[in-house]
Amino acid sequence: MRRNTILTAIALLLLIGFLAFADNFFDLYLVRILNLCAIYAILGLSMNLINGFTGLFSLGHAGFMAVGAYVTALLTIPPDVKKQIFYMTPIMSPLDVMNLPFPLALLVGGLLTAFVAYLIGAPALKLKGDYLAIATLGFGEIIRVIFTNTQSITNGALGLKGIPNTTNLWWSFGTALFTLVVIASLIRSSYGRALMAIREDEVAAESMGIHLAKHKNLSFIIGAFFAGIGGGLLGNLLGTIDPKMFTFTLTFNILLIIVLGGMGSLSGSVISAFVVTIANEWLRFLDEQINLGFMVIQGKVGTRMVVFSVLLMVVVLFYRNGLMGNRELTWDQLCNSKIWRGLSARKRGTAIAEGGEK
Amino acid sequence: MALLDMSQVTMRFGGLTAVKDLNLELNSGEIIGLIGPNGAGKTTVFNMITGVYKPTIGTIRFNGKEISGMRPDMITQQGIARTFQNIRLFKELTVLENVLIANHLNIASNFMEAILKLPRYRREEAAMREKSLKLLDRVGLLEHQNDKASSLPYGLQRRLEIARALATEPKLLLLDEPAAGMNPKEAADLTVFIKEIREEFDLTILLIEHHMDVVMTICDRLYVLVYGTMIASGEPAEIQSNQQVIEAYLGVDEDAENQ
Ligand SMILES: Nc1ncnc2c1ncn2[C@@H]1O[C@H](COP(=O)(O)OP(=O)(O)OP(=O)(O)O)[C@@H](O)[C@H]1O
Ligand SMILES: [Mg+2]
Repeated sequence: MRRNTILTAIALLLLIGFLAFADNFFDLYLVRILNLCAIYAILGLSMNLINGFTGLFSLGHAGFMAVGAYVTALLTIPPDVKKQIFYMTPIMSPLDVMNLPFPLALLVGGLLTAFVAYLIGAPALKLKGDYLAIATLGFGEIIRVIFTNTQSITNGALGLKGIPNTTNLWWSFGTALFTLVVIASLIRSSYGRALMAIREDEVAAESMGIHLAKHKNLSFIIGAFFAGIGGGLLGNLLGTIDPKMFTFTLTFNILLIIVLGGMGSLSGSVISAFVVTIANEWLRFLDEQINLGFMVIQGKVGTRMVVFSVLLMVVVLFYRNGLMGNRELTWDQLCNSKIWRGLSARKRGTAIAEGGEK
Repeated sequence: MALLDMSQVTMRFGGLTAVKDLNLELNSGEIIGLIGPNGAGKTTVFNMITGVYKPTIGTIRFNGKEISGMRPDMITQQGIARTFQNIRLFKELTVLENVLIANHLNIASNFMEAILKLPRYRREEAAMREKSLKLLDRVGLLEHQNDKASSLPYGLQRRLEIARALATEPKLLLLDEPAAGMNPKEAADLTVFIKEIREEFDLTILLIEHHMDVVMTICDRLYVLVYGTMIASGEPAEIQSNQQVIEAYLGVDEDAENQ
């Protein structure tokens, strides 16, 4: 127990050290990728809560992110910049002067997204399996259509530009850590067990006294809250957003992350978010021209997507549990792994002596 | 007053009448058997009592309160718990978690308190754990507390399902073929176990069972259902000698296969 606390503290310090280093010495491109990794970790964790832990087949994440991103952006773009962006249709009255500090704007974005989830959850969560997937998919598209057409609020298809680049490594990693801690704490509580019971067997869960609608909504709303915050971080990282950003492809990417990492594994989602985001950048060459020396392959935009789709199919077909299944990476596990034991074999004498005390 | 009172209950699925004009009364402390051939509508009766189905016609009262049409989790809250004919454990979760989940219905802390691990939640969680471990100890599953539910041998899975139902603190326990797939020795052990928990937990039990030796030894009264209609009810000895029952159910040879 004490060892784990110490290890956690050390890991945190290392992370802070790394972020400080990255913040000062990494080039902008690398920093941006790191930010994306953390944001995708938030998105993966929140979707895993809904899909992996509660077993709800929801595909509304892009929609949730859109709400969070727009709210956060609208609350952080300075009023004079807003006037310039909304040159086609002027921005609606209270919105033009509204301005909040970034963290507050993120929070409001998350809360409003949670409220939207509450509104659509009541009818949608009565549906099961594929039907829920279709309904939430529809929700995502509807949000996009609404945002394209409410020009005086969202600036329509033109999107929002000039969003202050307030997302930095501290915000993205800090929020990711916060998300991880909150969701992990929920999962390990009685409420988390109730959610997993629903995933395992709805009929049995209900007959054990679990109010299905209430708990499904809870998971859906908390998941949406963090998706909204993730969306807000993303918008203020990129600096511009428009409705086309929030298509099904975005949801698909997050789905890929949680399936690859393991449905029902938080550590799996985090690891997978980093792997997929980095691979996504690394595989960028696929979309461009590839020069093999003796021949030149004309890249096609979208090849990356094909690679990822094939990857998802392979995982689902042959390796259904993903990286972690529904297990978690814990200090106990790491310390008991073969590699570590080999390394620390010499120190064992003292370790046992210490272990005897507690 | 009867603890459970079903009066003139009919359940139709489209054109099929699974249960017809059923009258059934359970008094506190009784163990009642519900028997009948396959497809007679026995499980449907359980599903109506527990709120999985709402009866097409008729009323079900528990403790004098109408429960037909109530949500299943609310009915459980009233004090009715069940096991399933095809075991329905939370397979991927541990034995202990399965039992802990059945404690969730009484939780007073909200999800925020649970996430923040506030004192009231901590107290409740500790109490749940203590209670669950005690229960697991009582039913002989303590050593398996950290095993995945699906990894237990079949007989223990049945036992865990009963333990999980008990954890909801029911007054009425519904057991759907608890001895199914058991050999005579295991079935006899189960009989003893059911008798014991009835005493210890002050239960009323409604039991669906094809093992006649189990039914005949522990049941105070029996109801016989055939094609959705109750053809007889009474004490085991009466039922055993009832000509109609023998023809429709007990005497049928193929029934031996079910045992
Ligand atoms: N949800 C449903 N929809 C349609 N028909 C159903 C449904 N549930 C049960 N039935 C039908 O109702 C009849 C009674 O089924 P039930 O499961 O209650 O029988 P049972 O007495 O429990 O039989 P067994 O001994 O095989 O478990 C069967 O004909 C069954 O097919
Ligand atoms: Mg049945």
